[in-house]
Amino acid sequence: METFHNIGTSTDWIVMIIYFMAVMLFGSYFGRYTKNTSDFFFGGRRFSWWLITMSIVATGVGSHSFVKYSAKGFEHGISSSMTYLNDWFFVPFFMFGWLPIIVYSKVRSIPEYFEKRFSPSARFLATILLLLYMIGYIGIGFLTLGKAVIPMLPEAFTMMGAVVDITLMRAIIVIAIITGIYITFGGQTAVIFTDLLQGVILLFAGFLLFFIGISYLGGFSAFWDLLPTTWKLPLADFNQPSSFNFVGIFWQDAVAGSIGFLFMNQGLLMRFMACKSVNEGRKAAAINIMFVLPLSAVVVGNAGWLGKAISVATPDIISPKTSPDEIFVVVASIITSPGVFGFVMAALTAALMSTVDTLINATAAICVNDIYRPLAKFFGSTFKNEEEKDRKELYVARWVSIAITILGVVAVLAFKNFPTVYEAHGYFHSTLTPPLVVAIFMGVFWKRFTPAGVITTFLGGVALMILGARFPGILIAPFDHGIEMNAARPYSYIRAFYNTVACVGVGVFVTMAGSLYAKLSSQFKNEDYNGSAKMMISSVIASLAFLVILFGFQSISFQLVNAFLVITLVPLIIYYYVPYDEVKATEGLTALSLESAKRMFKGSDINDTEGQIVEIQYQLDEELGKDIRFSQNDMDKMAANVGDLVYVSDRRKWLGGLKSIHAVYGEPHAEDGIVYMSQSNIESGLFDEGRILEAEKEM
Amino acid sequence: MDYFSHSWLPYMYLYGLGAIFFFSGVYLVWKTNALDMRKPHHRRWMTVLFLGYGWFMAVHGILTFLALR
Repeated sequence: METFHNIGTSTDWIVMIIYFMAVMLFGSYFGRYTKNTSDFFFGGRRFSWWLITMSIVATGVGSHSFVKYSAKGFEHGISSSMTYLNDWFFVPFFMFGWLPIIVYSKVRSIPEYFEKRFSPSARFLATILLLLYMIGYIGIGFLTLGKAVIPMLPEAFTMMGAVVDITLMRAIIVIAIITGIYITFGGQTAVIFTDLLQGVILLFAGFLLFFIGISYLGGFSAFWDLLPTTWKLPLADFNQPSSFNFVGIFWQDAVAGSIGFLFMNQGLLMRFMACKSVNEGRKAAAINIMFVLPLSAVVVGNAGWLGKAISVATPDIISPKTSPDEIFVVVASIITSPGVFGFVMAALTAALMSTVDTLINATAAICVNDIYRPLAKFFGSTFKNEEEKDRKELYVARWVSIAITILGVVAVLAFKNFPTVYEAHGYFHSTLTPPLVVAIFMGVFWKRFTPAGVITTFLGGVALMILGARFPGILIAPFDHGIEMNAARPYSYIRAFYNTVACVGVGVFVTMAGSLYAKLSSQFKNEDYNGSAKMMISSVIASLAFLVILFGFQSISFQLVNAFLVITLVPLIIYYYVPYDEVKATEGLTALSLESAKRMFKGSDINDTEGQIVEIQYQLDEELGKDIRFSQNDMDKMAANVGDLVYVSDRRKWLGGLKSIHAVYGEPHAEDGIVYMSQSNIESGLFDEGRILEAEKEM
Repeated sequence: MDYFSHSWLPYMYLYGLGAIFFFSGVYLVWKTNALDMRKPHHRRWMTVLFLGYGWFMAVHGILTFLALR
């Protein structure tokens, strides 16, 4: 395979450095709006759908996408776009199930949902799985960044007389340091605005490359005619080759990946949670999936398609043997002029950094919310006031961001030996997403799903997944749809099908057998000492059985028996030890009780009467707390009552809600067009004196 | 050359199995009242959901047709 170094000129490097400095300054400017952990992680729940849509572009497209889809575009053609066009199937579940639940239940992280819906032990396991997922994702991001930058760097450089080789890992470490600095001092508002800028530039750079490439080849017809038929087809061959086939990618990406992306990507969820309302979040998701993702598919894959066309027309310019992960850089350097190449590479690498930044920020949110806060509570830490608590958490968040960056670099080691980033990412998704995805899904849509169900799905599901990974020829083969097993990396994609079926099977089994387990557990509870001893023995057997599977002792049949023991004993143990009140645990936390969720969010009955938007100017009233006071006429126009929730924002739409607040309607007054609010609300809303504001009833 | 396994077979699998996931989702959110058809903006969202499904079916169908032409 042909690899490259020293691509690009000094002009390109100058353009790249200027670009990076501009982006850092842009991010730092908006970083000043980070005042507390809510701003640091969620941007204060204030933004408009269009701003979030554009900022998602850089998150969804930035990471690994340019490199991995160009690679597959070069190897297989337009079917590289498959993964960008198969996310719609689970949108109803997301828009009307998961999104309103996470917003209205005010959870700050996915594990927190697990505690509210199930139990602290479910939260603990979810935290472990989610951290593995997020850190692995960061690792993939760093790996891609390294692979994108390496072709531009020399093979080695001399420093103080010593020759230093530029290896993939060394490049990644330097990139990680730059990324860590930015996220540590920026926060979510900075990330959102930087991503907004980069989302636009990214789309522009991708299309610029496409049009230059088409012109280089002599027009669209010439390009299209050069592609072999199989390269023109939008879907891959059904089940071959093992490294890129439709059915495997369907299960890995359209099912596990899409649900994983929408339901458990904390970074993406935090973007939706930064929207000013659930409906704005829905708009952002719909526009992003329907229009932005198809455009992004062209943006990220076209270098590979162009590379294939050039390699057919002039194989001496681009060899068919070019390393697929380097094709983006190679094509960009051939078809663009110096300076433009630097701009395209800067857009790519900066967007990659954005994705990694978002993930690091999201993982820090999980660490603060699901590790630091429970630990602080456990050790009885006290704070003078909320401000001190918030300052401390912000401090922890920043240090955690640095630690996560380091772990992300370490995670690269697990993926760097895959032939392409695409396969590394596919394998990663197939393996890590199913247990959490199944648990979230069943928790949201199945009221009868209990802590026993979710914990057994985690433990029993993982046990079966480990066995699948160890004995793929026996356990995954029945699900393979005729895909040939590659002994080096067996069933990279279709394993997602097996893993999903295993986790769903475990969850359904435990839930269906719930009444039997409940009866058994109450019998044991009535036996006092005897029952307690039996449960202790069951716990020891279940733990040993899990260890047997984890370390792979003995034959497959022995390990399967142990998996059976885990799946049958864990629910009994959970029913016995974990208290669970179904009514309390499901109220407002499943799709069946969204109205309750809204009521709980608001704290009183919902007022769904549709009102108008009114224009007002603010005036300070030091006496007020969280309430803000409108005139009776303005409240009538908004169809609002005292105690309803209101959203006030600067009238300038292009700000996208940056200057805005959520508040509660207080007692009305008689001055139309005036709203009275406290200093703290004015500061939190970043309102400028004398500017016209808009107010609308939230609910 | 027969491109069936590279074109219409994956297409049917994608929108056949995909339909099961998609329509069960729509049914579930409708049945649980999470998507409340009494609300005008929820009715609009229901239309958007179906349009979205049709949109992706059309995009893949047209691209496949053009590639095989």
